[in-house]
Amino acid sequence: MNEEQVLAYVKATATLLEVPLDAARARAVAGHLGRTAALARMLDAVPLQVHDEPAEIYCPAPFPGEEAAP
Amino acid sequence: MKTTDLLRAVATGAASAREVCDATLARIEASNPQVNAFTEATAARARAEADAVDARRARGEALPPLAGLPYAVKNLFDIEGMTTLAGSRVNRDLPPATDDAVLVQRLQAAGAVLVGALNMDEYAYGFTTENTHYGPSRNPHDLTRIAGGSSGGSGAAVGAGQVPLALGSDTNGSIRVPASLCGTWGLKPTFGRLSRRGTYPFVHSIDHLGPLADSVEALALSYDAMQGPDALDPGCHALRVQPALPGLGQGVAGLRIGVLGGYFHHNASAPARAAVAAAARLLGASDTVTWPDAALGRTAAFIITASEGGSLHLADLRTRAEDFEPLSVDRFIAGALQPAHWSIRAQRFRRAYRDRVNALFQDWDLLLAPATPVSAPVIGSETIDINGTTHPCRPSMGLLTQPVSFAGCPVVAAPLWPDGTGGMPLGVQLIAAPWREDLCLRAAMALQEAGVAFVSTPKAL
Repeated sequence: MNEEQVLAYVKATATLLEVPLDAARARAVAGHLGRTAALARMLDAVPLQVHDEPAEIYCPAPFPGEEAAP
Repeated sequence: MKTTDLLRAVATGAASAREVCDATLARIEASNPQVNAFTEATAARARAEADAVDARRARGEALPPLAGLPYAVKNLFDIEGMTTLAGSRVNRDLPPATDDAVLVQRLQAAGAVLVGALNMDEYAYGFTTENTHYGPSRNPHDLTRIAGGSSGGSGAAVGAGQVPLALGSDTNGSIRVPASLCGTWGLKPTFGRLSRRGTYPFVHSIDHLGPLADSVEALALSYDAMQGPDALDPGCHALRVQPALPGLGQGVAGLRIGVLGGYFHHNASAPARAAVAAAARLLGASDTVTWPDAALGRTAAFIITASEGGSLHLADLRTRAEDFEPLSVDRFIAGALQPAHWSIRAQRFRRAYRDRVNALFQDWDLLLAPATPVSAPVIGSETIDINGTTHPCRPSMGLLTQPVSFAGCPVVAAPLWPDGTGGMPLGVQLIAAPWREDLCLRAAMALQEAGVAFVSTPKAL
């Protein structure tokens, strides 16, 4: 994506998410997003298999204590 | 007077907790106009807590382990009766907290005395504490320089000798960076070790809390006092207390200690490398070790941080972006607009990354790396130079901390004072496998006892 394409993406997604942006802010945000896009391409190049699941915080229930029956 | 002497003085009655408290409040009042570490003092509460300690002693009761020790907290910790600012203007509209944060409750139970709330980067999104709303925190060793961030008030307060202990948060380096730049000890525990309940979040999936202190003993005492399971914090995975204090003096004999090369060497200035070399000599570390996928780890942390942080504040970004910190508001918005694919891929990478990092600790007990690429830059710096390459200052202060916290490993930041910094400190990370904070603290104690790492309070303050 070139700068104008990133800017167009920023304007479109900001509209979708109802974030008002004036022209200067849209360009500043696009600058940040463009740099992050370059980083994201590094991660896209990492081979991940379909069974590589995300890291998690979610836990279905607290781990049972030592006094609890298995 | 450092922590152990202060605790001994209160325990023996050589000083009352009230006397210590009043002296601390007076020092804060005298020095804060220069360092701008505190956003609010809690004098009435502090005196009441100190008086309670003195009353227990007068009754002949055994005193708890931190009896009379003054401390302060980054202003993202809830303090009952105060609004939790998290460094922002937006949060001024929130009602006061109805309870203390869990870690504040635990320190109070251990007898510590809360003296105030500390400055930080807005919503913890920064490494410099150049806070536009509340002013920059200033480095106590050179007031023209940054204190680091985002727990910059915590680093400045301990470095200036205002308090012997402060609490901070660390998502990508926010305890270790200010500890490095202000010359204090810092502990970022294992992800999931300490409860985060009652603190204002930044990135739920990476946020950690921990202490900055004047000594290794203060780190270990406060860390032990704050441990404990918390089923109500979904990110608290610890199931029992594992005290570090009893093993603190065991030394490092028999430990396999290596020095991180590659990414951690390339992104370190000559003084940063010298600081690591000094620590390595004392600890007997000579082998160079490669941390797996360090640059990718940092990249994934960067993307998740932007995405979660942006999403968290989207409602306010829609309606009052002008009230946000000018230095970070555009990054928050950009994060909120990131494609979901980026952050999902980063989270999937994180699991594989964790396995590679944990495998490294089958061969090593401790790994050393600089905490920051350089010592503290001047406030307002846009760039830093690392070995002839220009980097943007504000994000680059976390280059060496982000890959480690993303893996969730525990780290002690040790304060060293290498040549080539004009007398400024520069920290060294002592990194262990998850749940092995005890090893980090043992190595820290060895460095402290040898005089290689230490806190030096500036006389001018």
